[in-house]
Amino acid sequence: MTSAVATPTERLAPRVIVYWLLADGISATFLTGLAWFIGRPIAAEWDKWTPTYEWLLLAACIAFLAVAVLSPPLAFVRWRFGFLDDLLLMRYGILFVEERAVPVRRMQHVDMTRGPIERLFGLATLVVFTAGNEGSAFRVPGLRLARAQELRDRIVEARGDGRL
Amino acid sequence: MTADSEISEQPIEPATDVRPVDSEVVLARGHLHPAILLLRLLDAMRQSVVTVVAGLALGLPWLLAIAAGMFLLQLGYALARYLTLEYRLTATELRVREGLLHRQERRIPLDRIQDLGFESTILRRALGLTVVLVETASGSGVEARLDALSRSHADHLREVLLEARREIVAAQQAEDDAITGPGTADASAADNSTATASTAADEPEWLVHRSTSKELFLRGLTDLRLSAFVVTGFALFEMADYLGFLTQMSGVARGVRDWFAQFDPVVLGLLLLVLLLVVISFGVITGTVGNLVQFHGFQLTLRGSVLHRRFGLLTTRQKTLPRDRIQRVTIEQPWLRRATGYGVVKADSAGGSRAQGEDTAGGWDVVVPLTRLENAFALLPALLPGLEREHLPWQRGSRRLVMRTTIVGVLIGLAGAAALWSTAGSLALLALLTIPIWALLGILAFRNLAYALGDRFLALQHGIVGRYIAYLPTAKIQSVVVRQSPVEQLLGLAELTVHVAGGSPTRLPDLTIENALELRGELARIAAIAAARDWQTRANATATRPPADRVGESQLDPAAPPAGDRRPWTEPRGDGPAADEDHDRPGGAPPDSSRPL
Repeated sequence: MTSAVATPTERLAPRVIVYWLLADGISATFLTGLAWFIGRPIAAEWDKWTPTYEWLLLAACIAFLAVAVLSPPLAFVRWRFGFLDDLLLMRYGILFVEERAVPVRRMQHVDMTRGPIERLFGLATLVVFTAGNEGSAFRVPGLRLARAQELRDRIVEARGDGRL
Repeated sequence: MTADSEISEQPIEPATDVRPVDSEVVLARGHLHPAILLLRLLDAMRQSVVTVVAGLALGLPWLLAIAAGMFLLQLGYALARYLTLEYRLTATELRVREGLLHRQERRIPLDRIQDLGFESTILRRALGLTVVLVETASGSGVEARLDALSRSHADHLREVLLEARREIVAAQQAEDDAITGPGTADASAADNSTATASTAADEPEWLVHRSTSKELFLRGLTDLRLSAFVVTGFALFEMADYLGFLTQMSGVARGVRDWFAQFDPVVLGLLLLVLLLVVISFGVITGTVGNLVQFHGFQLTLRGSVLHRRFGLLTTRQKTLPRDRIQRVTIEQPWLRRATGYGVVKADSAGGSRAQGEDTAGGWDVVVPLTRLENAFALLPALLPGLEREHLPWQRGSRRLVMRTTIVGVLIGLAGAAALWSTAGSLALLALLTIPIWALLGILAFRNLAYALGDRFLALQHGIVGRYIAYLPTAKIQSVVVRQSPVEQLLGLAELTVHVAGGSPTRLPDLTIENALELRGELARIAAIAAARDWQTRANATATRPPADRVGESQLDPAAPPAGDRRPWTEPRGDGPAADEDHDRPGGAPPDSSRPL
């Protein structure tokens, strides 16, 4: 029985770290910039504004940026996926660790999505759908394009009916 | 996984279309009953009455104009629908055509139709009408709705339709047998189960459960959530607060306050308590009446492999539930029902009426409104065939669960105390009371938590004050997730979530990570095998058939009463300590909270 417990081993493409840094970093920088350079002067007009609030805001901004910088490498370190016979396994999550197992033949269809920045990096995200309302989509991000295609083909082949 | 490699080498049969040539012969046709226009008129009047009254009261003529416009629009729509809607039943499909400007024809192949459901409100019944719901087996629930036909037309349509459907399925089966030969065990099981469903009209109907008035009465009486007390209490508190606020506003209100002030606090408290009881008993009374009306004459029957439910006093409902589609059966016992030894049986199914936006008030998932716990256990095999042969080795969750909730309580308490410190001072320490409360909740949860994985079913028992017991056929599992929050990682705990098609996911909290991973491996393995079997069934049979993933289905003798009646469960099963009240549980007793292991 323990053989079935085997943890997946394959990692994402390392360049996904740079991609995440860029993609998340842009929005995080924008939001903190907004809060600090526009939000702070406005809030300073408020008569109850004290330096304590200013320090709190600074701390929040720094924490937000730190999360944006630290989470990509941590997420990369945690991410594992792989096939075990007919099962697609995934393990991921920084604080909340999740392990998912999806039988290939339960998959309804497989999508490969590539955002503009993802394309720049030659990356692709594989999205697998099973029947069901809640929790029916499973994403494997940060795959090299060729690998994503391979995986997709493998799933299609394993299903065998070419209906994906 | 040897079976899988065989499958992938097999050539895939395209969905075979075995429709006879004479598909254009119309077996039955008809229109809506004209009396429906009367109902629509009443509907339109009822809906515009508020606007009209508002328009008259406020003296706004444009409101009246809007109301008139809406009224005419609705009437026109109803008239157009009545004039254009036509249904036709051919040997292969049911066609429903409607629309004045935008014409559409819906064609529903007969082999996809599970049954016709009837539903009628009191007005429709007075007029001899019934709403016909075309229910399909493919998981999409109600496919079409004919509102409304006369009762005799509806009965005739159903009769002819089921007859035609039976012929089609028989023809398909013959063809499949010709293609696949005697076939594998799986394929023949699939054929048999389809045949069982198809011959439903001929088969005797077995009564699984009939609700007594006492049961329905008790259902209303025990329909009292713990949260209701909290909410009502809070609302009264708010109201008292509001009264206090009002007193500062006007003379009349001041009089009210003075009137209140003449009582001493004890009397005032008692007064509030009485008020609370009044509000709650009002809730109980309306709940009881509501339940009696909604579930009046509730009857659950089994015909072939399809369950039928009939109930209702004002609005009568007839609902079908193909047994193959059941994804989970739950016996729910909130606190009062648990204390009195009663439970509600609910079944989650793929698709089903809920997909059509029907809310829980329609009782879409209720299989038995209320019955004694032992009756509930006894009728489970009628819902989940094979459960009677199942051995369920019940296991407890991890004791560390108490630690987890305590830690959560500490975190909440500390956060609360810190947040309140500046305003409430040392009173903020009261927030630390969350620690013992959460610890107690953890102990209660641990005493109720148990799970078991048998050959074909996963069983789960959980609850804090109430108790909920769920059974899932493992063959229906779509995917399995093991999740660990930071606190759970610290304690080596994990939560396992089982996803099924359509229904809500089932969570097994507070397993040790080792147990969770082992269970996940086992469930994923079963799910993969079941998926392969479903897939093969689908490849062998036509794509429109309901997947049959129970090999044992064919063993069910249609001439025998449902398993729930057949086996009275006189022998305790399983090797757990079986106390008197646990006799009847299929697959052995889950550990009872009164006797911790």
